[in-house]
Amino acid sequence: MTLGFPLGLLALAAVPALVAAYFLRRRQPPRTVSALFLWRTPDQRAEAGPRLNRFSRESSLALEILAVLFAALFLSDVRCGQAVNQQHVVIILDGSLSMNARVGGSTATERAKTEIARIARQENAGVLTLIETGVKPTLIAGPQQERDRALSALERWTPAQPAHDITPALTLARELSGAGEHHIFFLTDGPVGDAVAIPSQVEGRSVGKQANNLAFLSAQRRDEDGKAQVTVRVGNFSDTPQNVEVRFSAADDAPQKQQVKLQPSGTAVLRVGFKTSQPITVTLPDDALAEDGHLTLLPSPLADVTVSLLEGLDAAGQQALRRFLSVAPGVKLSVPSLLTFGPPGSTAGVTLGAKPPLKSFVGPFFAQKGNTLLDDVQLGGVVWTAGENPPGRVLMSAGDVVLISEDDDGVVHLNLDIGRSNVQRTVAWPVLLSNLVRQSRLSTPGFPRKHLMLGEDTPLVASPGSTWELIAPDGQSRHVMGSGVLTLPPLNASGQWKLEKDGEPFDALVVLPLDPRESDLRTRGAWEVIPARPQAFASFATAHPRPWWPILVVLALVLLDFWLTAAPRRKEATT
Amino acid sequence: MTVRLDQGVVERAAAGCALRLPRGPHRGKLGEVRASSVGSSLELHDFRQYAPGDDLRQIDWNAVARTGELYLRVRQDEVSPRVEVLVDGSASIAISDEKAARVREVAAWVCALARRGGLDPVVIATGSTVRKAGGPATRAMLEALEFDGREPFDAALRRAPPLRPCGLRVVISDFLFESPPEPFAERLARGASGLALVQVLDPEDLDPSGGAGARLTDSESGEVLERILTPGVVDQYLARLKAHVSLWQGAARRVRASWSQASAEFTLDALARRELNELVEVA
Repeated sequence: MTLGFPLGLLALAAVPALVAAYFLRRRQPPRTVSALFLWRTPDQRAEAGPRLNRFSRESSLALEILAVLFAALFLSDVRCGQAVNQQHVVIILDGSLSMNARVGGSTATERAKTEIARIARQENAGVLTLIETGVKPTLIAGPQQERDRALSALERWTPAQPAHDITPALTLARELSGAGEHHIFFLTDGPVGDAVAIPSQVEGRSVGKQANNLAFLSAQRRDEDGKAQVTVRVGNFSDTPQNVEVRFSAADDAPQKQQVKLQPSGTAVLRVGFKTSQPITVTLPDDALAEDGHLTLLPSPLADVTVSLLEGLDAAGQQALRRFLSVAPGVKLSVPSLLTFGPPGSTAGVTLGAKPPLKSFVGPFFAQKGNTLLDDVQLGGVVWTAGENPPGRVLMSAGDVVLISEDDDGVVHLNLDIGRSNVQRTVAWPVLLSNLVRQSRLSTPGFPRKHLMLGEDTPLVASPGSTWELIAPDGQSRHVMGSGVLTLPPLNASGQWKLEKDGEPFDALVVLPLDPRESDLRTRGAWEVIPARPQAFASFATAHPRPWWPILVVLALVLLDFWLTAAPRRKEATT
Repeated sequence: MTVRLDQGVVERAAAGCALRLPRGPHRGKLGEVRASSVGSSLELHDFRQYAPGDDLRQIDWNAVARTGELYLRVRQDEVSPRVEVLVDGSASIAISDEKAARVREVAAWVCALARRGGLDPVVIATGSTVRKAGGPATRAMLEALEFDGREPFDAALRRAPPLRPCGLRVVISDFLFESPPEPFAERLARGASGLALVQVLDPEDLDPSGGAGARLTDSESGEVLERILTPGVVDQYLARLKAHVSLWQGAARRVRASWSQASAEFTLDALARRELNELVEVA
């Protein structure tokens, strides 16, 4: 509950007066009379005034005190769970990972939080809007959230964004600051490039400090046959050569370490092998930005894809498929299967065959660009014999004949007579089938990728009929909306994210805090921009109408009081 | 606090007086007052012609000699008429010691007058319980009488035994209740040869002090009313009291009852000589 006009509480001074008057009336001498009916008059108001009776009842006094109380609440503009009409300050915070750099005993984030508290105090802010810059700007608090709540939300905030453009955040801030050129604060940890147009009403300053830093620039893990191979690239973001010891550890294998000498701004690639199927931790010595020197790499073995061949496929087709399946990694023939091949008209996920009339093509072939099924499929020198056009969306065609199409339900039609074509003898054939297998593998529920970089969209496959939840590194959960192959917005925290299906752990991935532009702290330091047109510090919070419910309560209490005190008078009049 | 009944005051006030009975015939036990029935007293009431079956001892032979026809002397019985004293025992009587004392004294005084005339008074008092006493017990009952009734006199009297025919019924009350006077007066007069209504009021009833605010509490119902007792308010009260008394006086006249108003401010002796002298005759 907040008060927009606390001076309104002065109305409570009426309560002692009311009580005093009540007790003064109560002190009237009692007198017993033989016949009270001779003292009554039909209209007592004319004789003694209505207040006399009103003061004679304790319940009436209680009602009147309550009425005064609610009137005071109305006058003081009471708000329950609602912001009062106060100064509104909009502050933009740089959400970059580099804000976590600890230099001089404190991080830029901590200095930014202190600075925001100071700004809120200085500007006498009643409500705050805190915007975090990022690939997609987000609200840390607000819009127009009560100051204490906003600062409380800020305490929980941890920046983890990759390098990004701040312009969307500036635009959002201008929209949320209301009409007019109101003052907007922007806190970052380093100079903003000249390419960014800072609006004239923005007061910007840097709370960052320059520092040297060692960081991982990339990391990969490959799991095969119970062995894990880790490859990392280390960078030296300082002006002096550095001898760096990189430590690798796994839960069920001996830790390893490698020494590497890095030149200024130099990088080095390190590769180690472990016999483990557990997460592997890679660490650098502690430095200014600890986040980019500590990685956890989850096991990411290639998931097996089961394939089956339906009856009805012609012999040449079967032979070409089996030849591929026998050498393709992570593929095995079994039933039931994730990927099925069958003749046209069957229920298979991929149909292979051509219905007469047949026609052969040597080109030109027209392929839909960007379709992952046709990635790296080179058709030079290919003779493609096709038949009747299959249904679905065209992926590849030659002339007016559709060679490859895809149904709405994901069934791929290969309009191809293997016996009359030479496709199976070209490099296009294994690539095409590999793409099919990869697409099938990517449709397996869970995270198709176990390691993501900061700011990357998150691919996720969720099967319908189940409840899917993402558990953040800090334990907060969020529901996954939708099913099928999904692409979620970038996850906003580095670390391990878990996927739960119907409340049970299902899969996990790691967001790696890797971004060379964020790791280079040499570019951080003092920066300030003064608003070109200083105006009012902040807009006023959107004017909420003064709540009228206290007045309604007062009216109800007064009516009840009137009813309580008037009822006896009505009775007298009737008598 | 119960004010004891001073019997000496009562006796002094009743000295040399007797209860004035109505002139009409009475009924009651054998006594000295002419009855409404034909009897064998010495006092001649009427003459009438002889009819077969009449008592031959009552033939007036002088009349027979003068007229030559048989005439009978008709004589009335002489009875001792019943005197009933109804005392209002409601709490409004007890608002002051004087008022309660005066009610007791007036009731005892009427009983004393009746006994002096050879009559046998019966006292019926209301209150939280209805009490009835006759003969010597009346004194003790009046002394012990508590004015604690929480209902109007007429309502309390309904709890009493039915009023019997009597020669004189004396009702002592302040008559300050809201019931319509006429039906109650008729009910009191029913079966009584004579009815006397004695209103005893406290000086505060007759002339209330004003000038300040007060929480007025009804002595019987406990209802509370806060008023500032301005002269106007007091005047209105007096006007309403006057109108109320007038209603009772009219009701008394309608049932041929006597109406007396006594202020508790005065002693019984003074009241007996002034306001209540209608009830007495010099012995």
